[in-house]
Amino acid sequence: MHTPAALSGNGPTDFPGILRHHGLAPQPPAHTPVTGHHSPVTPTHATTILAFKFADGVLVAGDRRATAGNVIMYDRADKVLEIDRHSLMAIAGVPATAWEMARVLEHSFHFFRRTQLAEMSLEGKVRALSKLLRDNLGLVLQGVGVVVPIFATFDTAAGIPRVYFYDPMGAQFEAADFAATGSGSPAVRAVLHHENTYARKPLRKLKAPEAVLLALRALDTAAESDSATGGVDRRARVFPIVKLITRKGIETLPESKLARLYKANLAD
Amino acid sequence: MHEEPFRWVEAIANRREYIEDQLAPGSPIVALGFRDGILLFTLSRERQKIFEIYDRIALGGIGHPGDLERLRLTAIELASTEGFARSADDVALRRLANYSLSPALKAAFEQIYGPPFLARLLFAELGRGAAPNLFLRLDYDGSIRTNGGSFARTFEDFGVIAGKQNAITQMESFLRAQKHSGLSLADTLHLAARTWSVGHLALSAEPDAALPDAARAEEHLREQLAHASVEAAVLEKDAPLAATYRALADDEVRAILL
Repeated sequence: MHTPAALSGNGPTDFPGILRHHGLAPQPPAHTPVTGHHSPVTPTHATTILAFKFADGVLVAGDRRATAGNVIMYDRADKVLEIDRHSLMAIAGVPATAWEMARVLEHSFHFFRRTQLAEMSLEGKVRALSKLLRDNLGLVLQGVGVVVPIFATFDTAAGIPRVYFYDPMGAQFEAADFAATGSGSPAVRAVLHHENTYARKPLRKLKAPEAVLLALRALDTAAESDSATGGVDRRARVFPIVKLITRKGIETLPESKLARLYKANLAD
Repeated sequence: MHEEPFRWVEAIANRREYIEDQLAPGSPIVALGFRDGILLFTLSRERQKIFEIYDRIALGGIGHPGDLERLRLTAIELASTEGFARSADDVALRRLANYSLSPALKAAFEQIYGPPFLARLLFAELGRGAAPNLFLRLDYDGSIRTNGGSFARTFEDFGVIAGKQNAITQMESFLRAQKHSGLSLADTLHLAARTWSVGHLALSAEPDAALPDAARAEEHLREQLAHASVEAAVLEKDAPLAATYRALADDEVRAILL
Protein backbone atom coordinates (compact mmCIF):
# COMPACT_ATOMS: atom_id res chain seq x y z
CA MET A 1 0.00 0.00 0.00
CA HIS A 2 1.49 3.32 -1.09
CA THR A 3 0.69 6.61 0.61
CA PRO A 4 -1.83 8.44 -1.59
CA ALA A 5 -0.14 11.02 -3.81
CA ALA A 6 -2.83 13.57 -2.94
CA LEU A 7 -1.96 13.47 0.79
CA SER A 8 1.63 14.58 0.24
CA GLY A 9 0.38 17.48 -1.87
CA ASN A 10 3.15 17.27 -4.47
CA GLY A 11 2.47 13.92 -6.18
CA PRO A 12 1.18 13.32 -9.69
CA THR A 13 -2.30 14.61 -10.50
CA ASP A 14 -3.06 12.72 -13.72
CA PHE A 15 -4.43 9.19 -13.63
CA PRO A 16 -1.59 7.38 -15.45
CA GLY A 17 0.82 9.18 -13.10
CA ILE A 18 -1.25 8.05 -10.10
CA LEU A 19 -1.14 4.46 -11.39
CA ARG A 20 2.65 4.63 -11.64
CA HIS A 21 2.80 6.10 -8.13
CA HIS A 22 0.88 3.07 -6.83
CA GLY A 23 2.85 0.61 -8.93
CA LEU A 24 -0.24 -0.23 -10.98
CA ALA A 25 0.79 1.11 -14.40
CA PRO A 26 0.03 -1.63 -16.91
CA GLN A 27 2.64 -0.74 -19.53
CA PRO A 28 6.35 -0.12 -19.20
CA PRO A 29 7.25 3.46 -20.15
CA ALA A 30 8.42 4.08 -23.71
CA HIS A 31 12.11 4.29 -22.81
CA THR A 32 12.31 0.69 -21.53
CA PRO A 33 15.25 -0.89 -23.37
CA VAL A 34 14.09 -3.03 -26.22
CA THR A 35 15.53 -6.52 -26.10
CA GLY A 36 16.19 -8.88 -28.98
CA HIS A 37 16.47 -7.97 -32.62
CA HIS A 38 14.57 -5.04 -34.06
CA SER A 39 12.15 -6.90 -36.23
CA PRO A 40 10.14 -4.71 -38.57
CA VAL A 41 6.64 -4.20 -37.17
CA THR A 42 4.47 -6.66 -38.99
CA PRO A 43 0.92 -5.39 -39.28
CA THR A 44 -0.71 -8.45 -37.78
CA HIS A 45 -3.62 -6.56 -36.22
CA ALA A 46 -5.89 -9.31 -37.32
CA THR A 47 -9.40 -7.99 -37.20
CA THR A 48 -11.51 -5.32 -38.87
CA ILE A 49 -13.01 -2.26 -37.26
CA LEU A 50 -14.63 0.71 -38.92
CA ALA A 51 -16.30 4.00 -38.13
CA PHE A 52 -18.14 6.43 -40.37
CA LYS A 53 -20.32 9.47 -39.94
CA PHE A 54 -23.98 9.19 -40.88
CA ALA A 55 -26.95 11.55 -40.68
CA ASP A 56 -27.46 11.44 -36.86
CA GLY A 57 -23.91 10.92 -35.66
CA VAL A 58 -21.25 8.30 -36.04
CA LEU A 59 -21.43 4.52 -36.42
CA VAL A 60 -18.72 2.26 -35.02
CA ALA A 61 -18.57 -1.44 -35.83
CA GLY A 62 -16.19 -4.35 -35.40
CA ASP A 63 -16.19 -8.02 -36.34
CA ARG A 64 -16.13 -10.64 -33.58
CA ARG A 65 -13.17 -12.86 -34.46
CA ALA A 66 -10.02 -13.10 -32.36
CA THR A 67 -7.12 -15.03 -33.87
CA ALA A 68 -3.69 -16.24 -32.87
CA GLY A 69 -1.73 -16.92 -36.05
CA ASN A 70 -3.97 -19.05 -38.20
CA VAL A 71 -6.02 -20.33 -35.26
CA ILE A 72 -9.42 -18.87 -34.53
CA MET A 73 -9.43 -18.35 -30.76
CA TYR A 74 -12.80 -16.80 -30.19
CA ASP A 75 -15.75 -15.83 -32.33
CA ARG A 76 -17.58 -13.54 -29.94
CA ALA A 77 -14.98 -10.90 -29.09
CA ASP A 78 -16.24 -7.38 -28.41
CA LYS A 79 -13.86 -4.88 -29.96
CA VAL A 80 -16.00 -1.76 -29.59
CA LEU A 81 -15.62 -0.45 -26.05
CA GLU A 82 -17.62 2.30 -24.37
CA ILE A 83 -15.35 4.92 -22.80
CA ASP A 84 -17.92 7.47 -21.66
CA ARG A 85 -21.44 8.66 -22.48
CA HIS A 86 -20.44 9.89 -25.93
CA SER A 87 -17.19 8.09 -26.77
CA LEU A 88 -16.29 4.70 -28.18
CA MET A 89 -12.92 3.12 -28.77
CA ALA A 90 -12.68 0.34 -31.34
CA ILE A 91 -9.58 -1.81 -31.26
CA ALA A 92 -7.55 -3.73 -33.79
CA GLY A 93 -4.46 -5.45 -32.49
CA VAL A 94 -3.38 -7.36 -29.43
CA PRO A 95 -6.46 -7.68 -27.19
CA ALA A 96 -4.57 -7.79 -23.87
CA THR A 97 -2.93 -4.43 -24.50
CA ALA A 98 -5.99 -2.90 -26.09
CA TRP A 99 -8.39 -3.77 -23.29
CA GLU A 100 -5.93 -2.51 -20.71
CA MET A 101 -5.67 0.75 -22.65
CA ALA A 102 -9.43 1.07 -22.74
CA ARG A 103 -9.54 0.59 -18.96
CA VAL A 104 -6.87 3.21 -18.37
CA LEU A 105 -8.66 5.59 -20.70
CA GLU A 106 -12.08 5.11 -19.12
CA HIS A 107 -10.68 5.60 -15.62
CA SER A 108 -8.62 8.61 -16.74
CA PHE A 109 -11.69 10.45 -18.04
CA HIS A 110 -13.67 9.72 -14.86
CA PHE A 111 -10.69 10.66 -12.71
CA PHE A 112 -10.26 13.96 -14.53
CA ARG A 113 -13.96 14.85 -14.19
CA ARG A 114 -14.02 13.96 -10.49
CA THR A 115 -10.83 15.76 -9.51
CA GLN A 116 -11.01 18.80 -11.81
CA LEU A 117 -14.81 19.18 -11.53
CA ALA A 118 -15.16 19.53 -15.30
CA GLU A 119 -15.45 17.15 -18.24
CA MET A 120 -12.15 16.60 -20.07
CA SER A 121 -12.05 18.48 -23.39
CA LEU A 122 -12.36 16.51 -26.60
CA GLU A 123 -8.79 17.35 -27.55
CA GLY A 124 -7.64 16.19 -24.13
CA LYS A 125 -9.39 12.84 -24.60
CA VAL A 126 -7.98 12.32 -28.08
CA ARG A 127 -4.47 13.11 -26.86
CA ALA A 128 -4.83 10.85 -23.80
CA LEU A 129 -5.18 7.86 -26.12
CA SER A 130 -2.27 9.11 -28.21
CA LYS A 131 -0.11 9.25 -25.07
CA LEU A 132 -1.06 5.66 -24.11
CA LEU A 133 -0.04 4.46 -27.57
CA ARG A 134 3.31 6.21 -27.31
CA ASP A 135 3.91 4.70 -23.88
CA ASN A 136 3.25 1.32 -25.45
CA LEU A 137 5.94 1.72 -28.08
CA GLY A 138 8.34 -0.64 -26.27
CA LEU A 139 5.90 -3.53 -26.62
CA VAL A 140 5.18 -2.61 -30.22
CA LEU A 141 8.85 -2.80 -31.12
CA GLN A 142 9.10 -6.17 -29.42
CA GLY A 143 6.31 -7.27 -31.72
CA VAL A 144 3.89 -8.27 -28.97
CA GLY A 145 1.68 -5.28 -28.23
CA VAL A 146 0.55 -3.57 -31.42
CA VAL A 147 -2.73 -1.69 -31.01
CA VAL A 148 -4.30 0.41 -33.75
CA PRO A 149 -7.48 1.98 -32.37
CA ILE A 150 -10.24 4.17 -33.72
CA PHE A 151 -11.70 6.75 -31.37
CA ALA A 152 -15.17 8.04 -32.17
CA THR A 153 -17.12 10.60 -30.22
CA PHE A 154 -19.93 13.09 -30.46
CA ASP A 155 -18.56 16.58 -29.90
CA THR A 156 -21.44 17.94 -27.84
CA ALA A 157 -19.94 21.45 -27.78
CA ALA A 158 -19.80 21.74 -31.57
CA GLY A 159 -22.79 19.46 -32.15
CA ILE A 160 -20.93 17.24 -34.65
CA PRO A 161 -19.58 13.68 -34.66
CA ARG A 162 -15.84 13.12 -34.86
CA VAL A 163 -13.71 10.12 -35.83
CA TYR A 164 -9.99 9.75 -35.12
CA PHE A 165 -7.65 6.97 -36.07
CA TYR A 166 -4.12 6.32 -34.90
CA ASP A 167 -0.92 4.66 -35.97
CA PRO A 168 0.83 2.29 -33.53
CA MET A 169 3.16 5.09 -32.37
CA GLY A 170 0.33 7.38 -31.33
CA ALA A 171 0.01 9.81 -34.23
CA GLN A 172 -3.64 10.85 -34.45
CA PHE A 173 -5.56 11.63 -37.62
CA GLU A 174 -9.06 13.01 -37.83
CA ALA A 175 -11.09 11.26 -40.50
CA ALA A 176 -13.30 13.38 -42.75
CA ASP A 177 -15.94 10.72 -43.35
CA PHE A 178 -14.75 7.26 -42.39
CA ALA A 179 -11.89 5.22 -40.96
CA ALA A 180 -11.05 1.51 -40.92
CA THR A 181 -8.13 -0.39 -39.45
CA GLY A 182 -7.11 -4.03 -39.04
CA SER A 183 -6.27 -6.78 -41.50
CA GLY A 184 -9.61 -6.54 -43.32
CA SER A 185 -9.48 -2.78 -43.65
CA PRO A 186 -8.43 -2.56 -47.34
CA ALA A 187 -11.70 -4.19 -48.36
CA VAL A 188 -13.73 -2.05 -45.94
CA ARG A 189 -12.05 1.14 -47.12
CA ALA A 190 -12.82 0.18 -50.71
CA VAL A 191 -16.49 -0.42 -49.90
CA LEU A 192 -16.85 2.79 -47.88
CA HIS A 193 -15.01 4.88 -50.46
CA HIS A 194 -17.14 3.48 -53.23
CA GLU A 195 -20.38 4.15 -51.33
CA ASN A 196 -19.29 7.62 -50.28
CA THR A 197 -18.28 8.65 -53.78
CA TYR A 198 -20.46 6.80 -56.31
CA ALA A 199 -23.61 5.68 -54.50
CA ARG A 200 -26.89 7.63 -54.59
CA LYS A 201 -25.99 9.53 -51.44
CA PRO A 202 -22.79 10.05 -49.46
CA LEU A 203 -22.26 8.34 -46.09
CA ARG A 204 -23.10 11.42 -44.07
CA LYS A 205 -26.63 11.49 -45.48
CA LEU A 206 -27.46 7.86 -44.63
CA LYS A 207 -30.24 7.22 -42.13
CA ALA A 208 -29.49 4.94 -39.18
CA PRO A 209 -30.85 1.65 -40.66
CA GLU A 210 -29.07 2.29 -43.97
CA ALA A 211 -25.82 3.00 -42.15
CA VAL A 212 -26.13 -0.20 -40.05
CA LEU A 213 -26.80 -2.29 -43.13
CA LEU A 214 -23.79 -0.80 -44.90
CA ALA A 215 -21.56 -1.59 -41.92
CA LEU A 216 -22.71 -5.24 -41.95
CA ARG A 217 -22.10 -5.52 -45.69
CA ALA A 218 -18.67 -3.91 -45.47
CA LEU A 219 -17.53 -6.26 -42.69
CA ASP A 220 -18.90 -9.29 -44.48
CA THR A 221 -17.09 -8.20 -47.65
CA ALA A 222 -13.86 -7.93 -45.65
CA ALA A 223 -14.39 -11.43 -44.23
CA GLU A 224 -14.73 -12.76 -47.77
CA SER A 225 -11.00 -12.37 -48.40
CA ASP A 226 -9.53 -11.98 -44.89
CA SER A 227 -9.51 -15.12 -42.75
CA ALA A 228 -8.90 -13.10 -39.59
CA THR A 229 -12.17 -11.18 -39.92
CA GLY A 230 -15.38 -12.77 -38.72
CA GLY A 231 -18.00 -11.07 -40.89
CA VAL A 232 -21.59 -12.22 -40.53
CA ASP A 233 -22.13 -15.81 -39.39
CA ARG A 234 -25.84 -16.32 -39.87
CA ARG A 235 -25.84 -20.00 -39.02
CA ALA A 236 -24.33 -19.44 -35.56
CA ARG A 237 -26.18 -16.10 -35.35
CA VAL A 238 -22.97 -14.18 -34.70
CA PHE A 239 -23.18 -10.63 -35.94
CA PRO A 240 -20.65 -7.81 -35.75
CA ILE A 241 -20.90 -5.35 -32.88
CA VAL A 242 -22.56 -2.18 -34.16
CA LYS A 243 -22.94 0.93 -32.01
CA LEU A 244 -24.25 4.38 -32.86
CA ILE A 245 -23.21 7.60 -31.12
CA THR A 246 -25.68 10.44 -31.47
CA ARG A 247 -26.32 13.63 -29.54
CA LYS A 248 -28.37 11.54 -27.06
CA GLY A 249 -25.58 9.07 -26.32
CA ILE A 250 -24.60 5.56 -27.32
CA GLU A 251 -26.97 2.96 -28.75
CA THR A 252 -25.99 -0.70 -29.16
CA LEU A 253 -27.86 -2.54 -31.90
CA PRO A 254 -29.32 -5.83 -30.61
CA GLU A 255 -28.49 -8.99 -32.56
CA SER A 256 -32.13 -9.63 -33.45
CA LYS A 257 -32.36 -6.25 -35.18
CA LEU A 258 -29.12 -6.82 -37.07
CA ALA A 259 -30.35 -10.25 -38.19
CA ARG A 260 -33.65 -8.85 -39.49
CA LEU A 261 -32.02 -5.97 -41.31
CA TYR A 262 -29.37 -8.18 -42.88
CA LYS A 263 -31.72 -10.92 -43.99
CA ALA A 264 -34.25 -8.55 -45.53
CA ASN A 265 -31.59 -7.03 -47.77
CA LEU A 266 -29.75 -10.09 -49.11
CA ALA A 267 -29.59 -10.56 -52.90
CA ASP A 268 -32.13 -13.08 -54.20
CA MET B 1 6.74 20.13 27.71
CA HIS B 2 4.91 17.51 25.70
CA GLU B 3 6.81 14.63 27.23
CA GLU B 4 4.46 14.86 30.21
CA PRO B 5 1.21 12.94 29.60
CA PHE B 6 -0.95 15.61 31.17
CA ARG B 7 0.50 18.32 28.92
CA TRP B 8 -0.14 16.16 25.88
CA VAL B 9 -3.79 15.67 26.84
CA GLU B 10 -4.08 19.39 27.43
CA ALA B 11 -2.49 20.19 24.08
CA ILE B 12 -4.92 17.84 22.32
CA ALA B 13 -7.86 19.40 24.17
CA ASN B 14 -6.74 22.89 23.11
CA ARG B 15 -6.36 21.72 19.56
CA ARG B 16 -9.85 20.21 19.60
CA GLU B 17 -11.31 23.47 20.91
CA TYR B 18 -9.47 25.44 18.23
CA ILE B 19 -10.71 23.19 15.42
CA GLU B 20 -14.31 23.19 16.72
CA ASP B 21 -14.16 27.01 16.72
CA GLN B 22 -12.92 27.02 13.15
CA LEU B 23 -15.62 24.60 11.99
CA ALA B 24 -18.47 26.27 13.93
CA PRO B 25 -19.86 28.50 11.13
CA GLY B 26 -19.98 25.51 8.72
CA SER B 27 -23.34 25.40 6.93
CA PRO B 28 -25.21 22.08 7.30
CA ILE B 29 -25.09 19.38 4.63
CA VAL B 30 -27.97 16.91 4.42
CA ALA B 31 -27.94 13.50 2.71
CA LEU B 32 -31.21 11.56 2.42
CA GLY B 33 -32.14 8.20 0.98
CA PHE B 34 -35.23 8.35 -1.24
CA ARG B 35 -37.10 6.27 -3.82
CA ASP B 36 -34.56 6.71 -6.64
CA GLY B 37 -31.32 6.82 -4.64
CA ILE B 38 -29.63 9.38 -2.43
CA LEU B 39 -29.95 13.18 -2.41
CA LEU B 40 -27.23 15.48 -1.04
CA PHE B 41 -28.22 19.06 -0.31
CA THR B 42 -26.81 22.32 1.05
CA LEU B 43 -26.81 26.06 0.49
CA SER B 44 -23.47 27.68 -0.20
CA ARG B 45 -22.11 31.17 -0.51
CA GLU B 46 -18.68 30.79 -2.04
CA ARG B 47 -17.37 27.29 -2.53
CA GLN B 48 -18.60 24.00 -3.83
CA LYS B 49 -19.22 21.59 -0.96
CA ILE B 50 -20.71 18.49 -2.60
CA PHE B 51 -18.54 16.28 -4.77
CA GLU B 52 -18.43 13.04 -6.75
CA ILE B 53 -15.90 10.53 -5.39
CA TYR B 54 -16.61 7.34 -7.32
CA ASP B 55 -19.36 5.48 -9.17
CA ARG B 56 -21.57 5.12 -6.08
CA ILE B 57 -19.91 7.44 -3.55
CA ALA B 58 -20.45 11.17 -2.97
CA LEU B 59 -18.92 13.59 -0.46
CA GLY B 60 -20.08 16.69 1.35
CA GLY B 61 -17.51 18.59 3.39
CA ILE B 62 -17.14 21.63 5.61
CA GLY B 63 -13.90 23.17 6.88
CA HIS B 64 -10.79 24.74 5.43
CA PRO B 65 -10.80 24.64 1.61
CA GLY B 66 -7.19 23.49 1.39
CA ASP B 67 -7.75 20.57 3.74
CA LEU B 68 -11.04 19.58 2.13
CA GLU B 69 -9.35 19.54 -1.25
CA ARG B 70 -6.56 17.24 -0.08
CA LEU B 71 -9.00 14.83 1.56
CA ARG B 72 -11.30 14.87 -1.46
CA LEU B 73 -8.43 14.14 -3.87
CA THR B 74 -7.15 11.41 -1.56
CA ALA B 75 -10.54 9.73 -1.49
CA ILE B 76 -10.85 9.91 -5.28
CA GLU B 77 -7.33 8.58 -5.74
CA LEU B 78 -7.86 5.62 -3.39
CA ALA B 79 -11.23 4.71 -4.88
CA SER B 80 -9.99 5.05 -8.48
CA THR B 81 -6.87 2.94 -8.01
CA GLU B 82 -8.88 0.27 -6.18
CA GLY B 83 -11.50 0.30 -8.93
CA PHE B 84 -8.82 0.07 -11.60
CA ALA B 85 -6.68 -2.62 -10.00
CA ARG B 86 -9.64 -4.81 -9.03
CA SER B 87 -13.17 -3.86 -9.96
CA ALA B 88 -15.55 -0.97 -9.38
CA ASP B 89 -17.54 -3.48 -7.28
CA ASP B 90 -14.62 -3.74 -4.85
CA VAL B 91 -14.66 -0.03 -4.00
CA ALA B 92 -16.28 0.20 -0.57
CA LEU B 93 -16.83 3.36 1.46
CA ARG B 94 -16.50 1.58 4.78
CA ARG B 95 -13.05 0.30 3.89
CA LEU B 96 -11.99 3.61 2.34
CA ALA B 97 -12.86 5.42 5.58
CA ASN B 98 -11.72 2.84 8.13
CA TYR B 99 -8.56 1.69 6.45
CA SER B 100 -7.18 4.83 4.79
CA LEU B 101 -8.80 8.13 5.70
CA SER B 102 -9.43 7.70 9.43
CA PRO B 103 -5.82 6.74 10.30
CA ALA B 104 -4.48 9.68 8.25
CA LEU B 105 -6.80 12.13 10.02
CA LYS B 106 -6.02 10.72 13.44
CA ALA B 107 -2.27 10.86 12.86
CA ALA B 108 -2.41 14.50 11.72
CA PHE B 109 -4.66 15.44 14.66
CA GLU B 110 -2.46 13.89 17.34
CA GLN B 111 0.93 14.94 16.02
CA ILE B 112 0.85 18.22 17.86
CA TYR B 113 3.78 19.77 16.03
CA GLY B 114 2.11 19.30 12.65
CA PRO B 115 -1.06 20.85 11.23
CA PRO B 116 -4.36 18.95 11.70
CA PHE B 117 -7.05 18.74 9.03
CA LEU B 118 -9.73 21.37 9.59
CA ALA B 119 -12.49 19.31 8.06
CA ARG B 120 -15.68 17.41 8.78
CA LEU B 121 -16.80 15.06 6.02
CA LEU B 122 -20.07 13.35 5.17
CA PHE B 123 -19.83 10.43 2.75
CA ALA B 124 -22.81 8.73 1.15
CA GLU B 125 -22.69 5.39 -0.64
CA LEU B 126 -25.54 4.07 -2.73
CA GLY B 127 -26.42 0.50 -1.70
CA ARG B 128 -26.05 -2.20 -4.36
CA GLY B 129 -29.24 -4.07 -5.20
CA ALA B 130 -31.21 -4.54 -2.00
CA ALA B 131 -28.30 -3.49 0.24
CA PRO B 132 -28.98 -0.41 2.38
CA ASN B 133 -27.36 2.98 1.74
CA LEU B 134 -24.36 3.91 3.87
CA PHE B 135 -23.94 7.37 5.36
CA LEU B 136 -20.66 7.97 7.11
CA ARG B 137 -19.45 11.00 9.04
CA LEU B 138 -15.71 11.37 9.33
CA ASP B 139 -14.28 13.98 11.69
CA TYR B 140 -10.96 15.83 11.92
CA ASP B 141 -9.75 13.43 14.64
CA GLY B 142 -10.47 10.36 12.51
CA SER B 143 -13.61 9.37 14.42
CA ILE B 144 -16.35 7.74 12.39
CA ARG B 145 -20.08 7.60 12.82
CA THR B 146 -22.34 5.68 10.45
CA ASN B 147 -26.08 5.47 10.01
CA GLY B 148 -26.30 2.24 11.99
CA GLY B 149 -28.13 -0.83 10.80
CA SER B 150 -25.71 -3.01 12.68
CA PHE B 151 -24.06 -2.72 16.10
CA ALA B 152 -27.43 -2.63 17.89
CA ARG B 153 -28.50 0.71 16.47
CA THR B 154 -31.59 1.39 14.44
CA PHE B 155 -30.83 1.87 10.75
CA GLU B 156 -31.31 5.44 9.57
CA ASP B 157 -31.51 6.27 5.87
CA PHE B 158 -29.82 9.65 6.23
CA GLY B 159 -26.66 11.43 7.30
CA VAL B 160 -26.01 15.06 8.28
CA ILE B 161 -23.10 17.29 9.23
CA ALA B 162 -22.84 20.90 10.40
CA GLY B 163 -20.35 23.18 12.14
CA LYS B 164 -21.79 22.59 15.61
CA GLN B 165 -22.90 19.44 17.41
CA ASN B 166 -26.27 20.88 18.47
CA ALA B 167 -27.13 21.58 14.79
CA ILE B 168 -26.34 17.94 13.94
CA THR B 169 -28.45 16.72 16.88
CA GLN B 170 -31.42 18.89 15.90
CA MET B 171 -31.35 17.79 12.26
CA GLU B 172 -31.12 14.14 13.33
CA SER B 173 -34.06 14.37 15.68
CA PHE B 174 -36.04 16.25 13.01
CA LEU B 175 -35.31 13.53 10.43
CA ARG B 176 -36.04 10.62 12.79
CA ALA B 177 -39.64 11.82 12.90
CA GLN B 178 -39.95 11.68 9.09
CA LYS B 179 -40.56 8.84 6.65
CA HIS B 180 -38.64 9.55 3.47
CA SER B 181 -37.38 6.31 1.92
CA GLY B 182 -40.26 6.18 -0.58
CA LEU B 183 -40.46 9.88 -1.48
CA SER B 184 -40.06 11.36 -4.96
CA LEU B 185 -37.11 13.64 -5.76
CA ALA B 186 -39.22 16.81 -5.47
CA ASP B 187 -40.61 15.84 -2.03
CA THR B 188 -37.15 14.81 -0.87
CA LEU B 189 -35.75 18.20 -1.94
CA HIS B 190 -38.40 19.94 0.18
CA LEU B 191 -37.57 17.76 3.17
CA ALA B 192 -33.81 18.23 2.72
CA ALA B 193 -34.25 22.01 2.50
CA ARG B 194 -36.38 22.06 5.69
CA THR B 195 -33.79 19.91 7.47
CA TRP B 196 -31.04 22.26 6.33
CA SER B 197 -33.03 25.20 7.66
CA VAL B 198 -33.48 23.50 11.07
CA GLY B 199 -29.73 22.89 11.23
CA HIS B 200 -28.83 26.39 10.09
CA LEU B 201 -31.12 27.97 12.70
CA ALA B 202 -29.49 25.81 15.39
CA LEU B 203 -26.05 27.22 14.51
CA SER B 204 -27.04 30.59 15.93
CA ALA B 205 -29.42 29.29 18.67
CA GLU B 206 -28.69 28.36 22.29
CA PRO B 207 -27.31 24.80 22.57
CA ASP B 208 -30.46 23.52 24.33
CA ALA B 209 -33.09 25.36 22.24
CA ALA B 210 -36.18 23.44 21.11
CA LEU B 211 -36.76 22.43 17.46
CA PRO B 212 -38.11 25.44 15.48
CA ASP B 213 -41.67 25.01 14.19
CA ALA B 214 -42.34 24.38 10.49
CA ALA B 215 -43.32 27.99 9.71
CA ARG B 216 -40.15 29.38 11.27
CA ALA B 217 -37.97 26.88 9.37
CA GLU B 218 -39.73 27.70 6.11
CA GLU B 219 -39.34 31.44 6.62
CA HIS B 220 -35.65 31.07 7.43
CA LEU B 221 -35.10 28.93 4.32
CA ARG B 222 -36.64 31.60 2.09
CA GLU B 223 -34.48 34.31 3.63
CA GLN B 224 -31.34 32.26 3.07
CA LEU B 225 -32.29 31.22 -0.48
CA ALA B 226 -32.37 34.89 -1.44
CA HIS B 227 -28.62 35.28 -1.08
CA ALA B 228 -27.06 31.83 -1.39
CA SER B 229 -26.87 29.28 -4.14
CA VAL B 230 -28.42 25.84 -3.87
CA GLU B 231 -26.12 22.89 -4.19
CA ALA B 232 -27.63 19.48 -4.71
CA ALA B 233 -26.64 16.18 -6.27
CA VAL B 234 -28.11 12.70 -6.53
CA LEU B 235 -26.72 9.19 -6.66
CA GLU B 236 -29.25 7.49 -8.92
CA LYS B 237 -30.13 3.80 -8.61
CA ASP B 238 -31.09 3.43 -12.27
CA ALA B 239 -28.38 5.58 -13.84
CA PRO B 240 -27.62 4.54 -17.45
CA LEU B 241 -23.90 4.02 -16.80
CA ALA B 242 -21.90 2.74 -13.83
CA ALA B 243 -21.30 6.29 -12.58
CA THR B 244 -24.45 7.24 -10.65
CA TYR B 245 -23.59 10.80 -9.54
CA ARG B 246 -25.51 13.71 -11.09
CA ALA B 247 -25.34 17.33 -9.95
CA LEU B 248 -28.64 19.23 -9.97
CA ALA B 249 -28.56 22.78 -11.34
CA ASP B 250 -29.42 25.67 -9.02
CA ASP B 251 -32.39 26.84 -11.11
CA GLU B 252 -33.69 23.26 -11.46
CA VAL B 253 -33.81 22.92 -7.65
CA ARG B 254 -35.08 26.45 -7.05
CA ALA B 255 -38.01 25.84 -9.40
CA ILE B 256 -39.07 22.94 -7.16
CA LEU B 257 -38.44 24.65 -3.82
CA LEU B 258 -40.06 28.05 -4.48
